[in-house]
Amino acid sequence: MIAYILRRLVSISVTFFIVSVLVFLMMHAIPGGPFDAQDMPLSEAVRDKLMARLGLDKPLHVQYLSYMAGVLQGDWGVPYQSPGETVIELLARAWPPSLILGGLGVLIGVPLGILLGMAAALKRNTWIDYLASAIATLGLTVPVFVISMLLILVFAVWLNWLPASGWGEPKRWILPIIAYAAIPLATYARYTRSAMLDSLNKPFVTVLRAKGLSERRIIFQHVLRNSAIPMVTVFLPMFIGTATGSIFVEAMFRVPGLGSYFVSSITTRDYPLEMALILMITLMFSGAYLISDILYAWLNPRIRIGGRE
Amino acid sequence: MNKLFKLAGAVVLAVGLTVPAQAQTTIFGPGDLTTGTYFDYMKTVYSRAGLPEITQIPLTSFDKEFELQPLAAESWSLSDDGLVWTFKMREGLVWSDGEPLKASDYVFALKRAATTGYDFAWYWDFAGGIKNWKAITEGTMDVSEMGVKALDDLTIEVTTSSPKPYLPGVVSLWYPVPEHVWNEYGDEWAVNVDTLVSSGPFTVESWEKSNNSMVMVKSETYTGPWQARVDRIDIDPDIGAPEVGLPAYLAGETDFTNLNAGQIPFVEQRFPENMRTNVVFALSYLSFDVDSAPFDNVDVRRALWYAIDRKEMTETVLKGLAIPGNSLLTPGYPGYNADIAAMAEFNPEKAREFMAKAGYPNGEGFPTVEIFYRDQGGYNGAITSPMLQYLQAEFKEILGIQMDIRVMPTSDWMDALLNKKNNLFLAPYEFDYLDPSNFFGIFYDGGRHSYNFDDYDALVAAADANPNWEERLDLYEQAEMIMIDQAMIVPLVHPITVALVSDALSGEGIEPNALGFTPLNRLSFYFYTHLDKN
Repeated sequence: MIAYILRRLVSISVTFFIVSVLVFLMMHAIPGGPFDAQDMPLSEAVRDKLMARLGLDKPLHVQYLSYMAGVLQGDWGVPYQSPGETVIELLARAWPPSLILGGLGVLIGVPLGILLGMAAALKRNTWIDYLASAIATLGLTVPVFVISMLLILVFAVWLNWLPASGWGEPKRWILPIIAYAAIPLATYARYTRSAMLDSLNKPFVTVLRAKGLSERRIIFQHVLRNSAIPMVTVFLPMFIGTATGSIFVEAMFRVPGLGSYFVSSITTRDYPLEMALILMITLMFSGAYLISDILYAWLNPRIRIGGRE
Repeated sequence: MNKLFKLAGAVVLAVGLTVPAQAQTTIFGPGDLTTGTYFDYMKTVYSRAGLPEITQIPLTSFDKEFELQPLAAESWSLSDDGLVWTFKMREGLVWSDGEPLKASDYVFALKRAATTGYDFAWYWDFAGGIKNWKAITEGTMDVSEMGVKALDDLTIEVTTSSPKPYLPGVVSLWYPVPEHVWNEYGDEWAVNVDTLVSSGPFTVESWEKSNNSMVMVKSETYTGPWQARVDRIDIDPDIGAPEVGLPAYLAGETDFTNLNAGQIPFVEQRFPENMRTNVVFALSYLSFDVDSAPFDNVDVRRALWYAIDRKEMTETVLKGLAIPGNSLLTPGYPGYNADIAAMAEFNPEKAREFMAKAGYPNGEGFPTVEIFYRDQGGYNGAITSPMLQYLQAEFKEILGIQMDIRVMPTSDWMDALLNKKNNLFLAPYEFDYLDPSNFFGIFYDGGRHSYNFDDYDALVAAADANPNWEERLDLYEQAEMIMIDQAMIVPLVHPITVALVSDALSGEGIEPNALGFTPLNRLSFYFYTHLDKN
């Protein structure tokens, strides 16, 4: 197991290196730079001065090497769009709101989704199933900004129970968390339903019933555990996806989070921030898949990690 | 002892009752851009953070009637040759840290801009005409040769390379930079609240970096004209998007908001009294690469010029979003010429004749063309898509032209325009200063469009330097006649912005001007200093 984890860590480092080269090249391959003409032409002399200030006048490989040398020493540079702080400081400031709202959204959405999916699977083809499926389908198909808009309209404008937007007191968190929870809830409801139905039709359930086990024990101890594999596979990537913020939810609810930086770093050609965000996501996903693999072995001992007996 | 406490309690109570609690007035409003770097207009214009314009005092500014008013400059005079301007500053102006505001702070601002790379550098060459500006920005001349000098602490002398009769309006975008603070922190003085100092009616209290929302408070040291009347302003750029702004307005979280096309009918019905419209001093137009086929043929351009039904377009797909763009200048803009505007004609027969004359009867043999436009928000974002689809259908129907549409980021669009990577563009332009030379200049030799129409260039150059207003207007009229005859561009529409303003606000800032328009925060210095809140 330890050897397996070490091998995976080496492969994660290689992935990290390859991604860094690819992203760096792609980023610079997009035409334009941080200082492009806006409404009037920018003279060559002015542009040269601005580019030299950021070291963008040097050859690409020199820029890459000096950037990576910094990264390995923990210096991720200064974001072009926020010159008063380092990339790390920016992440430390902007990530917590996204982590809190997105993280709570997942942590609330997933258990509710599992409950909904279980109810649907156990009461198959009844109104409960239809209602659960309808909720799940709506949660996945209605865009999150529409859900956000409806939440604001109903709870802030009509009922006047909650503030429409902003950050600060926890009561301002409620609406964005609900908006964030919609997708995990819907995803999990669907996964749980189909995985449970799949397990319920397996011969071992018939055997367990023949043994005379209570339905409750069959469901919670055997069926649910056997259905857990796909849910584990989805969980961590979903958590990462949600807890790094959504540009839509954050814009609608005016949350000072990370979501908008994924877009603005590209549109403003903010190279240091763009690199940092993508490399961070790369590391998080690599780690998430490693953890998922370890969890598989725990959930189902028949899965042997490492492939060698 | 007990009695003493009671007595003290009574005194406290009495004082508490007689001195009313000071009610703080705070205006909540939308900002423009969520991204931005320096809170310093003289460092960067296109990626400035927040609204530095209301914390620094320019030499002059415009009121809501677009009349020029003196601010930091109390008066100014011009030499006989029309080249040397002397601006006298008001006495007693100070920075918010108590240091006196000096002429040298203004001079320093421009010298730094010229030598360190300023994305608005073109302005001081093209609009300001400052002597040696261009050579200094290109590094071929020393900054000490610049035509800008502080004669003493309160006198600024500006020398232009040719007469610039409208310079007092140009300097409305000339803000000071605190040289004494800059000496300590460098450009970074303008990236966090602790080192910011202001010279204008507001100072910054807090700055949320993630979206550049800011709380600004009334300056206690500002002694100049247009003092703040409210205690605080809370500006949030996320509210700038109408989709966020209107719900926030309805929930009482902002005092005014911009509206999009879908919201206007709802607001018209529910809050007609609270609506404010403004015709932006801007033009959307078609521009060409006039050196390559098929638009090198003037008759093709003329065909397009006659094929636009501006009235129908602005009454249908652009209803409430734009008015017909019949000329280069917007109604109300200095130098607007109604006779020229009356020439904008929709005439499908003439359009077809010109197509045939160019060798493409009914569009036969005409290549498929692609129009480039830029992806952006605000009033331009609202009109571009419906307008282009309308034009696409109209060109097909009237001229037999197949026009494809392609959207791209502003920087790519600008790159394509400057380097002639395409031959047809939908182009927007909003004024930077109030003088006809601003709009005529973008088509002038070496301006934004690399047009080289010699007659036009000669007239625009003559008009630019002529100190006589009537003569200038006459020259501009001739220049626009050439523009029309050559169909250099096809003017389309002037965009409108619509906003919703709360009953809690009052003051000249939200009252319509003589033309019936309310520029609101497009004139930010005037707007935020001419507002009261109940």
